[in-house]
Amino acid sequence: MNNRLEFDLNLLRRCDRPGPRYTSYPSAPQFSTRFTDADFRRQVARSNQEPIPRDLSLYVHVPFCFSPCFYCGCNRIITRDVSRGAPYAERLVREAEMVAPLFDRDRDVVQLHFGGGTPNFLNAPALADLVDSLGRFFHFSNARTRDFSIELDPRSVRDGDIAAYAAMGFNRASFGVQDFDRAVQLAINREQSIEETLSAIDACRTSGFRSVNVDLIYGLPRQTLAGFLHTLNTIVLARPDRVAVYGYAHMPQKFKAQRQIDDRELPDAAERLGLLQVAIERLTAAGYCYIGLDHFALPGDDLSVALAAGSLQRNFMGYTTHAESDLIGLGASSISHIGDSYSQNFRDLPPWESAVDQGRLPIARGLLLDEDDVIRAQVIQQLMCRGLIDRAQIETRFTIDFDLYFAESLARLLPLAAEGLVTFDGSRIIATSRGRLMLRIIAMCFDRYLATPSVSETQPRHSRAL
Amino acid sequence: MGSQRAGSSPIADDGDAFRFCSTCAFSASCLAHGFDKTKLEELHLLVAHVGPYEEGDHIFREGDPFEAIAAVRTGTVKTYVTDSEGREQVLGFFLPGEVIGLNAISQARYPCNAVALDSVMLCRFSFPNIAALATRVPGLQQHLFRLLSEDIGKAALLAGNFTADERMAAFVVSMSRRHAARGFSATRFRLSMTRTDIANYLRLASESVSRGFSRLQDSGLLHVDRREIEITDPVKLEALARNILRE
Repeated sequence: MNNRLEFDLNLLRRCDRPGPRYTSYPSAPQFSTRFTDADFRRQVARSNQEPIPRDLSLYVHVPFCFSPCFYCGCNRIITRDVSRGAPYAERLVREAEMVAPLFDRDRDVVQLHFGGGTPNFLNAPALADLVDSLGRFFHFSNARTRDFSIELDPRSVRDGDIAAYAAMGFNRASFGVQDFDRAVQLAINREQSIEETLSAIDACRTSGFRSVNVDLIYGLPRQTLAGFLHTLNTIVLARPDRVAVYGYAHMPQKFKAQRQIDDRELPDAAERLGLLQVAIERLTAAGYCYIGLDHFALPGDDLSVALAAGSLQRNFMGYTTHAESDLIGLGASSISHIGDSYSQNFRDLPPWESAVDQGRLPIARGLLLDEDDVIRAQVIQQLMCRGLIDRAQIETRFTIDFDLYFAESLARLLPLAAEGLVTFDGSRIIATSRGRLMLRIIAMCFDRYLATPSVSETQPRHSRAL
Repeated sequence: MGSQRAGSSPIADDGDAFRFCSTCAFSASCLAHGFDKTKLEELHLLVAHVGPYEEGDHIFREGDPFEAIAAVRTGTVKTYVTDSEGREQVLGFFLPGEVIGLNAISQARYPCNAVALDSVMLCRFSFPNIAALATRVPGLQQHLFRLLSEDIGKAALLAGNFTADERMAAFVVSMSRRHAARGFSATRFRLSMTRTDIANYLRLASESVSRGFSRLQDSGLLHVDRREIEITDPVKLEALARNILRE
């Protein structure tokens, strides 16, 4: 894949518009409450009956955080009351007890991911009990390639925690950093020292974690090029295996916490691009590969290897080497992807709790993919993971005439081709170095649900691409 | 989606008074024997297009009075019997162009159940009528005999003492040949049956079927994506199936 990236502010101004991140296609706004737990059960039963039933991925959501980071758009609950962890974990176990028996026993869990919120809101013994219980209901893979990962807030990591996570079987950790700049940290209500962050990363290394990821954010209030560069230099020295550089999406109408951010302190479009540019340049200079969207990895990391081999995948947890699995989401707001279906649990705690207490699957909404959805999902997956669309491959796989089937999409792609974002090379459509940063914009041409964008939409459902 | 259709599910054209559907089990016999228009019309008058049957719908059940044989137009049909302890035993799978009910010919009742595995359309031939016509049309009689012997041959396929991999390979090759016989891709097709059904049919455990497919995939003989099968090394796969399929 072409790893070079090009910056052109005017181009971005002309082409950038709000769009989904395509961790799924169709994206979450298309999910409907017509999808029921009976649909879910049917999809699971069907997936068990495939010639080679897929391996399983487990996503476990822990919604609690000790304090609100003002930029956050995640589903979370702010509390300092640690006693809320135990009943939540108990219900997670009960949910697992309901869901696990639906899956055939010969389907291994090859990916386990704890996300949040803040998974280490639960203390180490509570997490150990939880992982242990999940391991009793599901069959965890013993393969070396299994990915058991946990998102960690370095501010809540105590001595011995990391070694305890390793003992539970976790081999990947992801740390939120955002920016070490003190002025920024105050503006986003997240004070986090370099020392506690680096010592947590070190602890992962000594405990035998296979991979460490660091999340950064550009576009935050009061952020400066110099300050962000300093953060990048610090991170590069710590040499995490993966780095994600997310663009801050300011949508205060949608995310209440963001109303604490003074929008006059936000960098403008040119400054945002400058921040992204410095991040990309610093990381690539330090030897990181650009994986796609907002992700970077060291050359030896599984993601870089998969990218080179063309086997990279993308699911709700971001880029992965395990997306050819069925994904089970446990906990409030978690999303599952089983067979040709997506489903999401109740976002709010009370309905999720009462469903679990009554022995019902806590599914709030979902979607059954039709044939068209499946084809478009494959096209968008290729684009997001390989930076290209292999027309011949899509035609063979789905017995369609690509140009005929996607006539409308290709028409929408033309202006982007004129801008030099994509080129046509034989049977392939390739994102150029100018287009690599705007894969979402290119993908949107193939999104049937965006065909008639409502111009009057005052509350954008999606963030901007950059 | 317009006229575009994804996936590899074969759809037959409708045919008319003088041309049968492209997948019709009898079209070959008609063409080979140069039937005149009257005879074609006579045969065609015996045909009733029935369906669609949806997934799980029964087409006939064991013990139902035998009246007709039927050619599958679209979809896949599974036949099975249930033993005295209620255990199901899969007898076979029928693809477009193949005929169900042949094993009832010697009796007055169907000796097995037939169930649709997906959306199924059938061409139904009243048996007394087609038998009567066959006495006047020698080509048709020969064709009926051939269908019968093929049906018996299919049942014998898996009776021998073969390894799991040989059974798996024979199953996939048989599917491939049968798709190819109706003009569909021999190397890319969809399996409508569940792995439980495949396992039951091949007299293997469900897990063994998955492990078998995985082994064939790891050896580069085929590629499995959900229910889509792509044969990537037909020569090696045929070789593995040779002990069972012979030809």
